[in-house]
Amino acid sequence: MRLIRSATFRFAALVFLLQLAGALLLLAAVHRLTSAELSQNARALAEELRDDLLATYRQGGTVALAQTIARRTAPEREPSSAILLAAPDGSFLAGNIAAWPPNVPISTPWAVIEIYRIGQSAPERLGVVATHLPGGERLLTGHAIDNALRFTTVMEGAMLSTLLLAIALAAIAALVAARLIEHRLIATVETARAVAAGKLEHRVPLDRSGDAFERLAIVVNAMLDRIAALMTELKVVTDGLAHDLRSPLTRQRAMLERALGRTQEEQARLALGGAIEESDRLLAMLNAALQISRAEAGLGRELFVATDIGRMLADLEEMYGPLAEERGFSIALATEPDLVAPVHRELLGQALANLIDNALKYGAGEISLSADRRGDAICIAVADRGRGIAEDQRAEALRRFGRLDAARRGEGAGLGLSLVAAVARLHGGTLSLEDNDPGLCARLTIRPEADASGPGARPASG
Amino acid sequence: MGHKILVVEDDGATADYIASGLDQEGFVVDRAGNGRDGLFHAIDGNYDCIVLDRMLPSMDGMAVLGSMRAAGVETPVIILSALGSAEDRVAGLTSGSDDYLTKPFAFAELLARIRLQIRKSKGSGPQPETTLSCADLEMDLLSRRVRRAGRPIELQPREFRLLEYLLRHKDQVVTRTMLLEGVWDYHFDPGTNVIDVHISRLRKKLDEGQAGPLLHTVRGAGYRLGADA
Repeated sequence: MRLIRSATFRFAALVFLLQLAGALLLLAAVHRLTSAELSQNARALAEELRDDLLATYRQGGTVALAQTIARRTAPEREPSSAILLAAPDGSFLAGNIAAWPPNVPISTPWAVIEIYRIGQSAPERLGVVATHLPGGERLLTGHAIDNALRFTTVMEGAMLSTLLLAIALAAIAALVAARLIEHRLIATVETARAVAAGKLEHRVPLDRSGDAFERLAIVVNAMLDRIAALMTELKVVTDGLAHDLRSPLTRQRAMLERALGRTQEEQARLALGGAIEESDRLLAMLNAALQISRAEAGLGRELFVATDIGRMLADLEEMYGPLAEERGFSIALATEPDLVAPVHRELLGQALANLIDNALKYGAGEISLSADRRGDAICIAVADRGRGIAEDQRAEALRRFGRLDAARRGEGAGLGLSLVAAVARLHGGTLSLEDNDPGLCARLTIRPEADASGPGARPASG
Repeated sequence: MGHKILVVEDDGATADYIASGLDQEGFVVDRAGNGRDGLFHAIDGNYDCIVLDRMLPSMDGMAVLGSMRAAGVETPVIILSALGSAEDRVAGLTSGSDDYLTKPFAFAELLARIRLQIRKSKGSGPQPETTLSCADLEMDLLSRRVRRAGRPIELQPREFRLLEYLLRHKDQVVTRTMLLEGVWDYHFDPGTNVIDVHISRLRKKLDEGQAGPLLHTVRGAGYRLGADA
């Protein structure tokens, strides 16, 4: 079904059918024209013969006519014409046809009949003209068109083999046409794929043909320019925001630290310490929000480096292990070997740290870290045995600044999971929250770039 | 005589804060308020470390750094920037700076990093060390054995690396971020203070049953390995 819906296939089929129809039409026309020409020819000969004989009849009467006919139809002359002179009652007088054919009226301007000529063992197709002579006798003159027809048959045979050739040629034409379209589109497809993979500087090469494909390329390039401009804009905005917010935060922190250094009063120190903590939290939120925006925009792909995911999880397990133990957790690690993929090490590390941090906050007992390869994707899961998140609340949990309930207030900015989701998307993947029965399983699926795993001919879906 | 530090920062309040803080710590501080002045100072003066803001009037911090390195000035440079994304940091570190600190920062973090850079540039030279020590604590890097007061201490591989890092920076304050970068080779915000737990485990192994503590917590900054309290 997919093949039939494919525009390329349809186009190829159309080319094939049109080619074939053209060839058939040509053959039919040739056929019609030749047979028309042949019978035209036979009729002219039959009429000429009649006119000749009529001239004889006018000069010499029936006897002279009969003599002439006998001479003309003598077997040794192997005539290709047929003549019958019959008496008014239809009885034979002269010629090479034994009896008046019953299906030919006395006066017939032209008819094609099948009849035996005297001395012939097989019936022949004859084109005949019947004339009623002034004396009451009937004259039938005709010309065999069998020979001519035989020629036509040979020719039709030749035309049939030509038709077979035409089918093959039509198939080739269809194939070439389809390949031509594919070829013209491949540059656009490749460019779009490269841009989707973060290579924003790629553009479709133009060939100055001015055709629909080039117009498409021009439009696609214009769209890519627009995307690039928006990305630059976003980068400028986030950089500007970062700078403009960080500068006052820096001054604020400096003032607080200095004040903390100057006072010995416990109450004031406590308040200042709290203020510094809050300012750090504000900064952490700002950083997370900026990281999310940048990751969502696909910025940072230039920092992708080949990284062993299993190794990374082992590092994190080692890093969080003592803390987990102290809080009554155990961390279980299960990874496949050789899970190497190009990733943004810092962001992916941050994302996994966020997930582990969440598991430590809301889970209980065991936290399991696992990673395995599924097709061309790598699936990393962080699962806990806590209360989990109800299915209808999972979307809310992934929303930026989304908070589930009052119990979770005051711990972080509600940006943790949305950062993980943004990091997943930066790596061409997804974050899904699943039931760990009991508990929550956060599954981070990343898809290493297609160019690492060969030319992916699959159309991107979803 | 104290080490000479050049602070190139256009924000007056931040520059005051850094300069006065460094002054209190016994450094000699010069200040420049824009990129061009900063470059002149950097080329003329004989500094031990330069703290360089990235967004500066008249000449961008990265341009100052580039021109400085082109002029053959090898003074360690710590970039101080409000641009904190990983890409910015990598760009800063690959274009000739020795460290990259994102604003806002804790002064203790900056101080620790300045000390680290000065020590590195005045470093003990290229010969590889095979043993590290601090008071009665000894670490043999070849046999990977650690002893305190002659008594062997069993350490996990990561604890060994943590202690090695602390020993290489003994008597200096090392921050949690520095440890995360130096020992674990990650640069992200771990949320909870995972480092503290590692330190307290290491401290237990090092200091339990010993005369004086070696591993100290520096409030609001990080940790310091040293004999004196």
